Amino acid sequence: MEAKFISHDDTTGWLDALSEQHVVLAPMWDNTVVTFRPHVKGRTPVLDRMPVLPPKEGVFPQNEMLLKYKYDKDPENLDRTSVQVKETLPQDTAVVVGARPCGTRGMTVFDRVYNCEKIRDPYYVGRRENTLFVTVACTRIESTCFCHDVGSHPADAEASDVLLVPVAGGYVAEPVTERGNALLDSPFFAPAGERSAEAAEVKEKNRAKLPAAHDYTGCGEKLMDRFNDLAFWEEQSAKCISCGACTYLCPTCYCFNITDESVGLTGKRLRTWDNCMSFQFTLEGSGHNPRPTKAHRLRNRVNHKFAYYPDLHGGAIACCGCGRCIKSCPVSVDIRAIVRAAQTYTPKPAPEGGDER
Amino acid sequence: MSTLEQLKEQIRKALPDLDVVIGWEQGYDAMHATPLFIREEADIDRLIWSPLCVHSLGTYLTGLTKSSKVQKVGLVVKGCDSRAIVQLTQERMIPRENVTLFGVGCSGCLSHARLEYKVEQGGHYVEDMHAITFNGDKVEVAVDGGVESFDFDTVCLEKCLTCRFPNAIATEHFAGEEVPVAPKREKAPSLEAFEKLPLDERFAFWQDQMRRCVRCYACRNTCPMCVCRDHCISTSRNPHWVSQEASTAENFMFQMIHTMHLAGRCIECGECQRACPVDLPIMLFRRTMVHAVKDTFNYVSGADPEATPPLLTFKAEEDNINERGW
Amino acid sequence: MNANPILPDMATIIEVVDETPNIRTFRVRLNDESRMQGFSFMPGQVGQLSAFGFGEATFVINSSPTRMDYLQFSVMRVGEVTSRLHTLKEGDSLGVRAPLGNWFPVDEMRGKDITFVAGGIGMAPLRTLLVYLLDNRKDYGKITLLYGARSPRDMAYQEDVREWRERDDLDVVLTVDAPSEGWGESPQERVGLIPHVLTDINPSPENAVAVTCGPPIMIKFTLQALKKLGFADDQILTTLEKRMKCGVGLCGRCNIGTKYVCVDGPVFKYSELKDLPDEL
Repeated sequence: MEAKFISHDDTTGWLDALSEQHVVLAPMWDNTVVTFRPHVKGRTPVLDRMPVLPPKEGVFPQNEMLLKYKYDKDPENLDRTSVQVKETLPQDTAVVVGARPCGTRGMTVFDRVYNCEKIRDPYYVGRRENTLFVTVACTRIESTCFCHDVGSHPADAEASDVLLVPVAGGYVAEPVTERGNALLDSPFFAPAGERSAEAAEVKEKNRAKLPAAHDYTGCGEKLMDRFNDLAFWEEQSAKCISCGACTYLCPTCYCFNITDESVGLTGKRLRTWDNCMSFQFTLEGSGHNPRPTKAHRLRNRVNHKFAYYPDLHGGAIACCGCGRCIKSCPVSVDIRAIVRAAQTYTPKPAPEGGDER
Repeated sequence: MSTLEQLKEQIRKALPDLDVVIGWEQGYDAMHATPLFIREEADIDRLIWSPLCVHSLGTYLTGLTKSSKVQKVGLVVKGCDSRAIVQLTQERMIPRENVTLFGVGCSGCLSHARLEYKVEQGGHYVEDMHAITFNGDKVEVAVDGGVESFDFDTVCLEKCLTCRFPNAIATEHFAGEEVPVAPKREKAPSLEAFEKLPLDERFAFWQDQMRRCVRCYACRNTCPMCVCRDHCISTSRNPHWVSQEASTAENFMFQMIHTMHLAGRCIECGECQRACPVDLPIMLFRRTMVHAVKDTFNYVSGADPEATPPLLTFKAEEDNINERGW
Repeated sequence: MNANPILPDMATIIEVVDETPNIRTFRVRLNDESRMQGFSFMPGQVGQLSAFGFGEATFVINSSPTRMDYLQFSVMRVGEVTSRLHTLKEGDSLGVRAPLGNWFPVDEMRGKDITFVAGGIGMAPLRTLLVYLLDNRKDYGKITLLYGARSPRDMAYQEDVREWRERDDLDVVLTVDAPSEGWGESPQERVGLIPHVLTDINPSPENAVAVTCGPPIMIKFTLQALKKLGFADDQILTTLEKRMKCGVGLCGRCNIGTKYVCVDGPVFKYSELKDLPDEL
């Protein structure tokens, strides 16, 4: 497999061509923000920044139809209905273009859960196997970025099929998988030649922009040490407003809701992104709620990513370090600070004279 | 003594009688503030006051005052924030006697979205910004290789351009000088532009916008007036008014419900739009509703503690509603 | 289970039994006869019932794998889905996703004395195990059933209970919260809270297992009573209920720490539960 070059001007043409055969999701200006949208012929993708929304949409869409149902009334007996159900598995092939390495790598967090020995989710697997990721190496390190803390870096090609490295005038396209390589078999690409060296330099330069990595080793145990310390979680969650910005924007948050949405006698069973910060998420029919306050719920979110998931999946942290949850949090809750607080926790000294009573 | 020093002093004196005082501290970088929960005197040192202090802290009140652990709450409030408290008090949604307000005068808050746009126009990016200084009418941002200077009006929140309540009202304490009331604009520029659109284009405008709502409910949860909290109709299955499907129509339906529930209540703090991760122009709805309430009932929410909100009362014949005329 | 674990099998209700004012039992058969013939499960496993247009909810399969004429589910009316299920009649269709989750360790329990302690709808998950044990009676020691409900009319499975009371290889004690007319004539009928009656019955922990299910508050005091009677943590089994959506370990709401009640449960030994974070 050989690295190739595509000029800025040719990216649109390439996506136009790709969209003949596949659904192409690419970052687009959507009014004032950049989100992943189905590519529209002639529109230039926005490849110079991290889209607000995560690339998981390509494989794990916010709305996934699981099945359709249709009730038929019995003309002889109007009290009686029969119901027909039809499975609706995804059929499309897709290319997600323009995710950052962090967002693409987020898919590995899904893979371990949705496609493993225990379970194979056919909706997820169907999309995953038919979706290729053309990732853009990151050149813009923001204050919320911490991919390197969770074992990645700005040019990480894990889970990507092609890595585009920005160089003067365009991108060096480095094929990562055979299928990715096939995408580059197109007249819009030329051999990368000497530009490969420039790409290597770009990668190195951006790697060096990151500060020393924080060490999360053992953070799961430290978090579990604090599990029953609700005061700790109340302090950490005090400013959280229990919205779902962090979970919906997270490239690794994979929890979902299933609801039936009817129109008259027909309807669909939908799988939609759900939000563990919401009171309803675990509310039981009886009114009992195992995670009744935002302290319980934030504890679950942080622990899921930094304690439970690593415990179940060989130490892998369920966080890709993209920082969307920090950047888009309306009140700037910082998940890094919460984990660090658990890691460095020391009990507060008892107030003076407080013990004597 | 600076406003901040006065504020700290007032909080220091009041803290022994309060369970918590909520203000702001520096956030995860130089560009962001974040809410600060002051429980001990030592926490007061972290308090900041600047145009970065965008959050309307009243949104925590309904949650806190229902908790058995917290009885007495202090809150630092700007003018707009204090209007939320007035309105909540009128609606008897908060035990006002347990709330102590530390008011400040506000000359406007920073819009991170507008600043980032401006900075990018100047050839820099969000990651290049290292420090920010507010200097009267100017905002100076230290970027890689220099300083960029902007007129504050070009990077402040849009609500600040039309603000008629820069000073906190009906508070127990007030720190610093009152800020002169001097709205820069009569009407929000975005609303003026929107109202120029013919009706069919307005609908197309909303369809184009609502498509990208992810229904994260950040707009709802930052809203100090959204008091239903864990029992919002948008996530209810019974009644089942809104589908979980994040489609243009359903998103629009949710935003409409949100707007309707704020009729005569919205105090234009703009938190909904500021909180929106996909930058939906939610304030267009809010302002339109605010104007409708003003025109119909001659009422401004949260402006006068003695007034009765129009939807908490009724007249047999409303002055501006011609019920029989159609 | 289907190849698509999220796609329900279509099933038909063959019989509806009114158990109590708010509990109704549905006997169903999968429409695909070959899948019905091939259906196998173990006592304690659960299924998701679909009322299309309303959603899915989780119920234990409370029939026994030893009797495969139908699958039986008991539904207490509490929410949207259960209210809809209560409107279904014989001949109506519904969706079934089963079996899901783990089951009671029937092999490990072999040769032991078994005490069942059930409260209210908590009888449903114990019913499947009790019937299974009775159908394999010789493999197990002394079997005792303590079943409590608020009042006699809140007691489900009346027909079963009548039959069980007649058996001489099963000790049955029933209890209700408050005295009630016509109740208490037989020594099998008691008045009092389950943990108190359990202490009274005084089952021996020697080579024994206790299986309990019921409302959280009942479980809490039953566990205390069992501990006092000398039952060790690994001699106590319970089955948990949590809000579930997918039932296959994906959707992320039924987890207690690293354990997903839908796949790692719903059956847990108390010794396992104690090791879990406290988030029931």
